[in-house]
Amino acid sequence: MKKKLIALILAGVMAVGLTACGGAAADAGAGAAADSGAAADSGAAADSGDAAAADSGDTAAAADAGSADAAGGIRLLNGKPEIDNQLQALAQKYKEETGANVTIETIGGDTSASDELKKMYQADNMPDIFVIEANQADTWDGMLVDFTGEAWTNDTDYALTHDTMGTIGFPYTVEATALAYNADVLEKAGIDPATLTTPAAWKSAAETLDSKKADLGLTAVFGWCAEPANLGWSSGTHVFGQYLDAGLKLDDKKYIDLLNDGGKIDEARMKKFAEFIGMMNQYSDPDLLVDGTYDNQVKGFAEGKYAFVTQGNWINGTVTSNASYSGFGMGFAPYAFEDGIDTIIAGPPSYWVAYSEGNTDAAKAFLQWVSDDSAQDILVNEAGLISPFKDCKFDAADPFYASIKSYMDAGKTSGWHTMLKKDGLQNVTCQVFADYAQGKLDADSFVSTMAQVCQTYYAEN
Amino acid sequence: MKELSTGKKTASIVCLIGGAALLAAALVLDITKSGAPYRGAFLVIGIIGILVGLFIFPTLKHHRTLMNIVFLFPLLFAFLVTVIIPLILGIRYSFTNWDGIRFTKEVGFENYAKMFQQPSFIWSILITFLFVVVNMIMVNLVAFLLALLCTSKIKGLGFFRASYFLPNLIGGIVLGYIWQFIFANVVTKLTTAVSGSRYSMLADTKTAFIAIIIVYVWQYAGYIMLIYITGLNTVPGDVLEAASIDGTTPSQTLFLIKIPMIAPTITICTFLTLTSAFKQFDVNLALTNGTGSVADFMGAYLTNGTEMLALNIYNTAVIKDNYALGEAKAVLFFIILAAVSILQVWVSNKKEVEL
Repeated sequence: MKKKLIALILAGVMAVGLTACGGAAADAGAGAAADSGAAADSGAAADSGDAAAADSGDTAAAADAGSADAAGGIRLLNGKPEIDNQLQALAQKYKEETGANVTIETIGGDTSASDELKKMYQADNMPDIFVIEANQADTWDGMLVDFTGEAWTNDTDYALTHDTMGTIGFPYTVEATALAYNADVLEKAGIDPATLTTPAAWKSAAETLDSKKADLGLTAVFGWCAEPANLGWSSGTHVFGQYLDAGLKLDDKKYIDLLNDGGKIDEARMKKFAEFIGMMNQYSDPDLLVDGTYDNQVKGFAEGKYAFVTQGNWINGTVTSNASYSGFGMGFAPYAFEDGIDTIIAGPPSYWVAYSEGNTDAAKAFLQWVSDDSAQDILVNEAGLISPFKDCKFDAADPFYASIKSYMDAGKTSGWHTMLKKDGLQNVTCQVFADYAQGKLDADSFVSTMAQVCQTYYAEN
Repeated sequence: MKELSTGKKTASIVCLIGGAALLAAALVLDITKSGAPYRGAFLVIGIIGILVGLFIFPTLKHHRTLMNIVFLFPLLFAFLVTVIIPLILGIRYSFTNWDGIRFTKEVGFENYAKMFQQPSFIWSILITFLFVVVNMIMVNLVAFLLALLCTSKIKGLGFFRASYFLPNLIGGIVLGYIWQFIFANVVTKLTTAVSGSRYSMLADTKTAFIAIIIVYVWQYAGYIMLIYITGLNTVPGDVLEAASIDGTTPSQTLFLIKIPMIAPTITICTFLTLTSAFKQFDVNLALTNGTGSVADFMGAYLTNGTEMLALNIYNTAVIKDNYALGEAKAVLFFIILAAVSILQVWVSNKKEVEL
């Protein structure tokens, strides 16, 4: 009988232990999820190429979500680890000015943010504001707040709209991509980047630069990397995006609509695009072209080894902090694969959206505040973002800003419609770029292969 | 038990009823989503109440069963939550159009039909089998040779054993990134000198596949080697001594004595390498991420030349955002692995009977 008693006590202790664990888990559910978000993934090379800039080890806000809710506060899930500190400052400022709480939770890398959101949704632990990319809107159909009528929507061209949900996406930054150039090198070689609006001009510029490589200290004309395993987002999303949008008006969705209609491509346009990429392959650094890495690509550009690099303004921090950076000016030149293409792609790579079952009023109030001066001050001057708002009075510190601004003012920006293509298509198209770079394909078979893989991808998935 | 005390009986019934009431209250609170903070406590106290009630109910018949259940509960619960429930849910989701957030309709066997119409998935299955066969042979061969080396009388044995085992302690992802660097830099210098191609092994599908095998063998052979060493050490010294007195050559000793005597070890190692090669994911992800082109397979140009089954499932679900199709593929993966495991158990049991 004594033995049984001991057994019973042990069982009781165990059960109590379970209670304690269970209870704590239940109460702290929200907080725990925030923690896991914080732990998630600091190194993932995000779609927008954030990897290098991220100091994400110590980012992550794991404040007690429960208390934020209780105080009528909101939670914001951020997908850009490199601006976590600035967003914390933003939340602090918001509390000072309005007394309302905003909790910032940060997850590194875009893929993991959308993945983490799915877990949060299953766990009934959704943040009030979270980050999505344009093509993810459909998965959240019916769950996002329509911002139509908010004051900030009149101040920007970049809000995300959706067919059934209305204006759902708050643009928090504008990023631009095209061929980034080293202004000093071009000046020394006597090339005016403003003239690079025809394939012929590009060809002669590349030839000129190539012939003066030794004088200019260049390794190659282009720092273009088609390595698929780690840089597939660059070739498959950003460079491919030039085929979709270069030369088009900001809201012209001609080629993305064609693509999203079963993976069709315009072969004539793709052929010209292929010839342009062929020229880039020809004048690119062969060591970088097939086996390179993002780090080497940006490093080479920062050290003045490449005149052009196929990235966007997100490289600015990495370039200017490089020890060998000489202080050269930077700007963007268009992918002019057809005569008269004179636009660069600019727009928000991702958006903030509000969850319709969350604290929507507080979320709307917060986003309105973010579009106004005191918040823009932090985002532009401290986080180094480019403001999507017309009434923003701050000039970004970004070295690319002057160039981007000139395109924006002239209305020569095209959309980021590459973000509307089917999820994961970049993993397929990047391989075609890689084969082309290796010489396994020529311009014609590049076009036919691209047509085939896009069609298959849309049919299969 | 001597006599049935009514007092005990009453206490038991009170406990049972109280426990059941608390349990029901907790469930109601949960279903109505009241969010009351005490519902967890209700639930647990309710369960304890029922258990105590059952335990002091004046008959001893079920006490042992009850105790077994109580003590096994943590393990069973964890197993249920992390294995059984996900398995059932996974199979369930594979018949819907689940996108990771919700599903809107049942699609029957559509996902299953779809996956076999994908040349890329067929390709993944084929190269996974190829990978498994090649690895099973290579890992065992290399591991056995290393084990022979490490059971011979060379100097610095402990050092060799430790260093061969060391790669196994590095996680697959880290290892993949390290080797990616090695292949892209060091190895490329060598292959350029040999073949004239200036691109790394990872740039082409065939050589990238070989690269994955090299890394995997390098990682896993040390582990299997340890098992072979244990096996070789169990070969009795007197048998070997008798053989050497009879004048056997070293190769005769190896093939006629050592290998037959460690046959059970070979079976174990074969199955270990078999199952682990099937589940290959991390090195695959980190080293090539499944890239590599195949010019013409079943009439299609493939872009997933080195993507093995596990990585294909992951990419389908998480990257391509097609969770239901990924689940269907995972069910197939489960069936393959279950078949291999059952075969393993069957073969091992048969061997044990023979021994």
